[in-house]
Amino acid sequence: MEDKVVLKKMGRRKKLRERIRENPKWQKASTVILPLIFGIILVGLWQGQVLHRLFHTDTFTLPLLDKIGSIMADNKEKLLENTFSTLQVSLMGLVIGSILGYLMALLASFFPKFGQGGLAVIGAFASIPVVAMAPVFNNWTKDISRDASFRSMISKTIVVMLICAADMGLNAYKGLTNLKPYALDLMAIYASSRKKIFFKLRLPNSIPYVFSALKVSVPASIMTAIVSEYFAEYITGVGRQIRENIVLAQYSTAWAYIATACLIGIFAYAILMILQSIFLKRYH
Amino acid sequence: MREKMLNIGNKKWFSAVFWILLLLIIWEISAIVVANTKRIPENILPHLYQIIMAAFSGEKVSGELSASQAVLTSAGQTLLRGFLGFILGGVIGFVFALLMKMSNLLGKMLFPYLMLIQLIPVLGLAPIILSITGDINVSRVVIAAILSFYPVATNTLYGFKSVEKEKYDLMYIYAAKKHEIYQKVLIPAAMPYFFIGLKIAAPMAVTASILVDTLQGDGGLGCLLSQSLKHAMSIYTFWLIVFFSAFIGIIISKIIGLIETAVSPWKRRP
Amino acid sequence: MKKRMKRILCMLLTASLAVGAFVGCGESQKETTSTAENEKKEELTSKDIIEKAAKDGKVGNWGLGNEYEVLALLAKYDLPTDFLSQDFTMDGFDDDSITLASAMTYNELGLVKNDYEGGYGYKDTVEYIDMNDEGVAMLEDNIFCSKDFAKENPETVAAFLYASFKGWEYAVENPKEAAQICYEYGSSVSKEHQEYMADEVAKLVSTDTKGEKVSDIGNMDEDAMKQTLDIAKKYVSLDDADANEKFQNLTLDDIRDTSFYEKAQASDGKFNVEKKKVSIQLKWLPDAQFMGYYVALDKGYYKEVGFEDVNIVSGGGDIAETTAVNNNTVDFGVTWETNLASADASGMNLVEIAQIFQRSGLVLVYKPENY
Repeated sequence: MEDKVVLKKMGRRKKLRERIRENPKWQKASTVILPLIFGIILVGLWQGQVLHRLFHTDTFTLPLLDKIGSIMADNKEKLLENTFSTLQVSLMGLVIGSILGYLMALLASFFPKFGQGGLAVIGAFASIPVVAMAPVFNNWTKDISRDASFRSMISKTIVVMLICAADMGLNAYKGLTNLKPYALDLMAIYASSRKKIFFKLRLPNSIPYVFSALKVSVPASIMTAIVSEYFAEYITGVGRQIRENIVLAQYSTAWAYIATACLIGIFAYAILMILQSIFLKRYH
Repeated sequence: MREKMLNIGNKKWFSAVFWILLLLIIWEISAIVVANTKRIPENILPHLYQIIMAAFSGEKVSGELSASQAVLTSAGQTLLRGFLGFILGGVIGFVFALLMKMSNLLGKMLFPYLMLIQLIPVLGLAPIILSITGDINVSRVVIAAILSFYPVATNTLYGFKSVEKEKYDLMYIYAAKKHEIYQKVLIPAAMPYFFIGLKIAAPMAVTASILVDTLQGDGGLGCLLSQSLKHAMSIYTFWLIVFFSAFIGIIISKIIGLIETAVSPWKRRP
Repeated sequence: MKKRMKRILCMLLTASLAVGAFVGCGESQKETTSTAENEKKEELTSKDIIEKAAKDGKVGNWGLGNEYEVLALLAKYDLPTDFLSQDFTMDGFDDDSITLASAMTYNELGLVKNDYEGGYGYKDTVEYIDMNDEGVAMLEDNIFCSKDFAKENPETVAAFLYASFKGWEYAVENPKEAAQICYEYGSSVSKEHQEYMADEVAKLVSTDTKGEKVSDIGNMDEDAMKQTLDIAKKYVSLDDADANEKFQNLTLDDIRDTSFYEKAQASDGKFNVEKKKVSIQLKWLPDAQFMGYYVALDKGYYKEVGFEDVNIVSGGGDIAETTAVNNNTVDFGVTWETNLASADASGMNLVEIAQIFQRSGLVLVYKPENY
């Protein structure tokens, strides 16, 4: 196809470029291909030690990728174990927290007078630093179980939950109440019941907001899980391993866990994006 | 009388006060329970009056400083670093979003990596940033900036993308130049989203700043927090910091709300 | 209005239910401790205690490189080497979730025993197992720098040691004054605890692992260092295969250099320092654990040997002292031999130049009524 165009006229070239750009297939593919290209360049720069020169650092502080890879391969089991524990905490916290947050937003949208204040208070919770919350919940959950691994998992989960709940609550409330100006009037003209307004208007309207909340809280849940692991009673998790290894000056190993944390994040985000494309398609 | 009561009930601040009171009541009830069941209740849940008393007591906890003096001096350092990081992150975030909007190619290329930056644990980055900047305090500001950069960038970008096609068409009809489109349509449209980003980023910058205080134990709320947690000084210092940082978080989001209404007149609807 | 009242009532009801549940938990905890107290008390050896604690899974340590002595002790009695993470407070020990808790003689043990601010006030009702007695002692606080720095600034290194030793000597003889000095230099702990710390640290600096008096401050005892490295080799397992192999092959000569110590000992106090402004990063927050440096600074010992400025950088953060020295952010550091060895194994280029603490400060503290 390209050949033909070149044969015809040089002036067509630009149009071809434009045509490619507007081609929906390319549009779709480019969202995958372009980041991939950037990724490959990045890997090249990293492995070729250009990054090191750029950042005035050495292969000790920023280990080469093959080194990180080989450590990850050598310690598969340990890595998976820690990944599982971090995932468990962040996922449970995310799910429970988001559901709680949405319920709070629902309550608040039913009783806006009391709800708004409540949400403001909950928003305040989110601004308490994790470093302050984690040890407090550690102490509060001491009586839950005699099993240290269990109770420390609970305390980490609570911290993640609070962060996610606040995020979801604030966003979902916005989604439930921030309706298009004419929408409510229209529903009123149709003489719709409150129930109907809720299911046909408020709920669908809140879905995009739910996703924009998740876009923040999915990475946040992983980060919070990692930070609260620093303070946890039971030694486990990707975050804890990162810290142990950094303190022991084992940067290569620490980077193996950092890479793991990133992979968890990418994985979670990819799932979120897929879910979003499914849900948002249905509603719009 | 009834009218008056209802009036108070309708006030906006009333519900917030109500919830705060409810929380305080629950706190106090739990504190009484804890006080009766635990050997050292102040480690788990002290009474609120104990915390307030600790705030106003002149007893020296660290060097020549009383508890609230120690908290406030450390907070000064931490908040300054957090503030610098926040401003830096906010500006870079906005510029980044703008660049990504202007160049589709760049946008698509970089967007997934934006999220990745957010996910790299700070601790891993810290030694590298330290070796780049060579100064621990600069590193702290940079890390706070990195953490507050992501919400600003993503939200602003979302704002740019939210502009309806009709508006573009309209500007096209007016034969508006590119920079005019940005100036008149895109940037105003993205403003509310930019501020949402800032609102999310502000407490994160504070959190980040407290977190990176502990990179080296030379001052700041984070250091004070870990010191008091280790029972090296009065445990009430810890509670003071918890309350103080929560307070700061709330105040900051309020301030950003105020700035938001000040720079976006269309928000000032009664 | 009525509806609202109902809602408020509902909320209060749930709140009180939650509180009720809280009380329930607390009470069940109380019962378990009281049954433990009623058990018969017998004479126990440290072996019995360690075995019981290990069986219950209630041995505590902070991890992060502090755990090897505990691992060695557990292995000595053929016990599984699992432990709980202690969170730098003794709360877990206090509420019996950890019954055999790690404590440094100069810090946590004081908090457990004494009843000043932050203390738990157990007085002498608690007992402890000393790592030195068990033969698993590892050496702690030393002074180190990078090999390159030592090579380029030999006079600076010797002068720094000379002045620091002088500071330590004074501090060991006058712990109370040393505590006061530390307190003035931005201390992280209360005054009373600072004094307790100074007393205990003085013991560590002037007594060796066998309990004998040491006269030369900073001496690098061959046997004790060897024992430390051997235990480390046995229990440190690095995930990085290359580093692990290198670690196993380390000898004492790779990680320590006695020449600067000897030079400082032989010196008359006159040095020709190459670098007049130096810094030292501590292993922990500023307190009497590092009183020697604060005393040397306060008394002007560093100035006497030719330094213009010595900056004491607080540690205890996530930028470990090994990292800071390795990337030249600071010149000297205080760390433990094991940390230094594992840092060297993974590619750093550090060398120990003096050993300040002559015996292990780690003990495992327990309440006799739990056994």
